[in-house]
Amino acid sequence: MDLIASWLGNTPDFAVPFALAALGLIITERAGVLSLGAEGLMLVGALAGIGAQLAYGSAELSLLIAMLSASVVSILFAIMVVLLRINQVIAGLSLVFFCQGLTGLLGTLWGWTNRPVSGMSSISLWPLSELPLIGKVFVQNPVVYLTPLIFLAVVWFLTRSGTGLRLRAVGENPQAADSVGIPVLWYRVAAILAGAALIGLAGGYLSVLSTKLWIADMTGGRGWIAIALVIFARWYPWRALMGALLFGCVEALIPQLAAAGIRLPQYFILMTPYAVTLGVMIWVAASKRAGGEQPGALGIPFVREERR
Amino acid sequence: MGMKFLMRILTAALALSITAPALATEADEGLTLKGEPRIAMLYISPRNDGGWTQAFDEARLKLEERLGHRIQYVESVPENASSIRPAAERLIQRGANIIIGTAFGYSDTFEDLARRHPEVAFLNGSGTTNSRNLQSFYGRTYESQYLCGMAAAAASKSGRLGFVAANPFGQVNWTVNAFALGAQKINPDATVTVIYTGSWNDPVRERAAAAALIDRGADVIGQHVDSPTPQIVAQERGVFGTGHHRDMSEFAPAATVCSSVWVWDRFLEPELENIFAGGWKPQLDGALLSMAEGGTDIACCGPAVAEEHVSTIMAAREELLQGNKRIYQGPLYDRNGTLKIADGELPSDGELWQMDWFVKGVITQQ
Repeated sequence: MDLIASWLGNTPDFAVPFALAALGLIITERAGVLSLGAEGLMLVGALAGIGAQLAYGSAELSLLIAMLSASVVSILFAIMVVLLRINQVIAGLSLVFFCQGLTGLLGTLWGWTNRPVSGMSSISLWPLSELPLIGKVFVQNPVVYLTPLIFLAVVWFLTRSGTGLRLRAVGENPQAADSVGIPVLWYRVAAILAGAALIGLAGGYLSVLSTKLWIADMTGGRGWIAIALVIFARWYPWRALMGALLFGCVEALIPQLAAAGIRLPQYFILMTPYAVTLGVMIWVAASKRAGGEQPGALGIPFVREERR
Repeated sequence: MGMKFLMRILTAALALSITAPALATEADEGLTLKGEPRIAMLYISPRNDGGWTQAFDEARLKLEERLGHRIQYVESVPENASSIRPAAERLIQRGANIIIGTAFGYSDTFEDLARRHPEVAFLNGSGTTNSRNLQSFYGRTYESQYLCGMAAAAASKSGRLGFVAANPFGQVNWTVNAFALGAQKINPDATVTVIYTGSWNDPVRERAAAAALIDRGADVIGQHVDSPTPQIVAQERGVFGTGHHRDMSEFAPAATVCSSVWVWDRFLEPELENIFAGGWKPQLDGALLSMAEGGTDIACCGPAVAEEHVSTIMAAREELLQGNKRIYQGPLYDRNGTLKIADGELPSDGELWQMDWFVKGVITQQ
């Protein structure tokens, strides 16, 4: 019982970075820009968050700075793929390597490695927090409670607001969007910056609230898992949230099983999140409906008046 | 010119390459440096990584002072030949004739470099390759971790200890077993629950592992991973911990009761002096350093360890420093009761590196 209670209680903390990063990717990719840079932008957010926390001591401000920094770095990506129309796969990958190097260098130069910070204190949602078994689910830091609200806001934006509909039009058929006067390139730049802000928040969450310290390459491949989640979710935010919870469950279960001394093969358990990723991709590929659900112009640079 | 000439060169080169090593071993009186010693180090991580590499950098500063030689260093050299080779070659070109590496992953490249530069002395921390001018070295971390296990049991109220470890390799398992043996010296009923994170440096997993152990009732968290995360979690949760690599009370002053620390300067100072003196001969099966030989030591003890236990721990430390105490000495049984080391026998280094069994009281997932 204890095991299940602490397992469920730890799940949101693992799920939130996956969920926020996946949501950021969905915004960017719904505008037709394939973004593979999540791992790098998360690192930028994580480093900036810790730096701000060490300098100003406010976790809220640190998370804002994490978002802002990731957006600023993503301007580089926006220039490459939107203005210069460089291959988006290559630009995304090089962004990851650039950010890995940059954050490793700056974290070392400024001495931010291994400096513990206090993070944010948890909020108990009484009386839910007193429930047996699932009570610990309702003792979390504020960002955990904020995450579903962010999802709600983004879903509303993408499906109900005029700007959101135009953003999706840009991702589905930029020629048509252009012909009715939507500034395609600006929409794409804005989508990249907004998506990067959420990915930066995911990174900042990881360093400031979850691990409470910075270490070079601390994201440990979580940005890549977020990319797989987006494909799994077929670019739908709520499905991405479900997928993130599933991954959070698996990651949170691993240490619980080990701490309880339950005998299971070590490497098999460490493999499970990645095995789930593979399984999900295969399932998505096998069950793809006609036409698919990925944004129509995903990964294709837009050139006005270009003939196809 | 032409084919014939080329063939002649080739045969000459071939003959040389066959006879040269033979000559070298025949007349091997050890390595004597040509000219003034010039030392350079290759770090696998930034010098202020808070752990493994920082311990080397602290040793470097002490060595510079005591030996009176400036020691150059290159930071963040990853474990692949295409990164190691240019860095080492450039240092050698600039006149370095003693190269000290700091990573398991440098082993093969260092072996190759040592062959190409027979006049240069190579040393490699945690390496696995040795030759007539290459010495790999590592510490018998089970000695210092045994002492940390004693401190952990002394600080524990429940006798339930947790341990966050990286990978189930021999040199990690030997610290786990020694930690448990040390703990049982103080409290014969102490248990050690181990979580392997599968990574040397993943603070997310280390935090989850430490938290899960504390949730299940552990009140002291030992560690053999690179980041101080388990100590920080212990401090947040109001329990205790023992550190690895360096004195981790820097990160968790209220929690850390003992740390296994590297003291490379104690090994490198006499070793470098041997190289300076000439006729240096590396140990061809690697230098696995006991505390007496200057591999590790402890930073101990935090206030949670009672005075009587501190004196017991310090007495055991003194015995280890004198070389009068063995951690692994028969009879030793694994947790299933199978005899692993016979009465009165000592395990060989090879058996230690392959340790895949656990003593009584160790709880793992395997």
